[in-house]
Amino acid sequence: MQLVGEGSPRAFELLYDRHGGAAFSLAYRMVGDRVMAEDISQEAFLSIWRSRMRYDASRGSVRTWVLGIVHNRTIDALRRGSVHERRREQFEGVEERHEARERTDVEAARREEARSVRTALDTLPAEQRRTIELAYFGGFSHSQIAELLDEPIGTIKGRMRLGLDKLRDQLADFAAGEFA
Amino acid sequence: MTGDHTTYRDEVGAYLLGALSDAERASFEGHLVDCAECRHEVERLRPAADLLPRSVEQVEPPPGLKRSLMEVVEREANERDGSPSERRTPLAERLRRLLGGSLRPALAGAAVVLAIAAGFGVAQLGGEDTRTVVAQTTLPDTSGSLKVHDDDAILEVRGMPSLERGRVYQAWVQRDGMVEPEPTFEVGADGRGTVAVPEDLSDAQAVLLTREPRGGSRAPSEKPILTVTL
Repeated sequence: MQLVGEGSPRAFELLYDRHGGAAFSLAYRMVGDRVMAEDISQEAFLSIWRSRMRYDASRGSVRTWVLGIVHNRTIDALRRGSVHERRREQFEGVEERHEARERTDVEAARREEARSVRTALDTLPAEQRRTIELAYFGGFSHSQIAELLDEPIGTIKGRMRLGLDKLRDQLADFAAGEFA
Repeated sequence: MTGDHTTYRDEVGAYLLGALSDAERASFEGHLVDCAECRHEVERLRPAADLLPRSVEQVEPPPGLKRSLMEVVEREANERDGSPSERRTPLAERLRRLLGGSLRPALAGAAVVLAIAAGFGVAQLGGEDTRTVVAQTTLPDTSGSLKVHDDDAILEVRGMPSLERGRVYQAWVQRDGMVEPEPTFEVGADGRGTVAVPEDLSDAQAVLLTREPRGGSRAPSEKPILTVTL
């Protein structure tokens, strides 16, 4: 990470090799379009390269930090473009999948991790899970979600907070371990 | 702590999930500066929000993503270090990268395009110091012209479509069978755009335009959509 900050292309390449797949996967999960996900991933990594990284180790792993940047950029893209309307229509639909091959132990571990987090999400009451997914992966604001689900904004905010609180309990082991 | 603490406290989840508007987020972060209780609540719940992206099904990124990223990164590292980057690559090599295996028919096609551009519709206007050369374009209802000065030139385009986010227009100079990367630019809502080509073009054969990923490319990733033959 230090070397990326110093402008080393090789260090940057290593950063991409380790986190590029997860970054693209998150953007793709949010926009449902491979070309757009590629553009967003490219912008996110170039911003990392050009800003000479302001990674703060006290705020979590490098992966969490990279994924946070990708998430913010994807939300910006969703709120700016027409994708939102399409996603709104698709949200209940079956999504196209291009699953990654499990080539390494690291990738296998990540898939196992993904399954565990999804299992934890499944334990939430349905309305909390749906609210969290619409916000985090759909990029919808609380007021948009209130409109979509025809519920008061206060109810939506409450579900987000309660849902995260329950998820935190479920995922205590993950949070303590912080996967690299 | 502000008097609206209860309102802000209710927004902790929305803040962590990215579900506040820009104005709401700024206001919330302003409140966090003064409110230890809300700061604590944000840090308490942040690990749960941070794990959400890890629930995502892993999909294979397109191989071109890494390639185009590293091209930009290595070029910028070279420029920063003061060592000239590999700016000039033989045109045939660039076309080879662009077109994969079908090099020879594609080259013939490209040659025909350039020959047509050279033969038709190229007007030269202006005085001794400045001349304007009209461009040939491949997209419908688009046009362009190049104002050529002694040691630089200005390319103006009109009617160009707005590109999707993350894509930009990039100019190129063709010289001695090589294609050199020039600056990138975007067009306005009216389809107009301008880019400076900071080069003496006296020995150049053409200025080209393509659509590239933001940050620009080292080699064109499509056939030119605009050609100014000099």
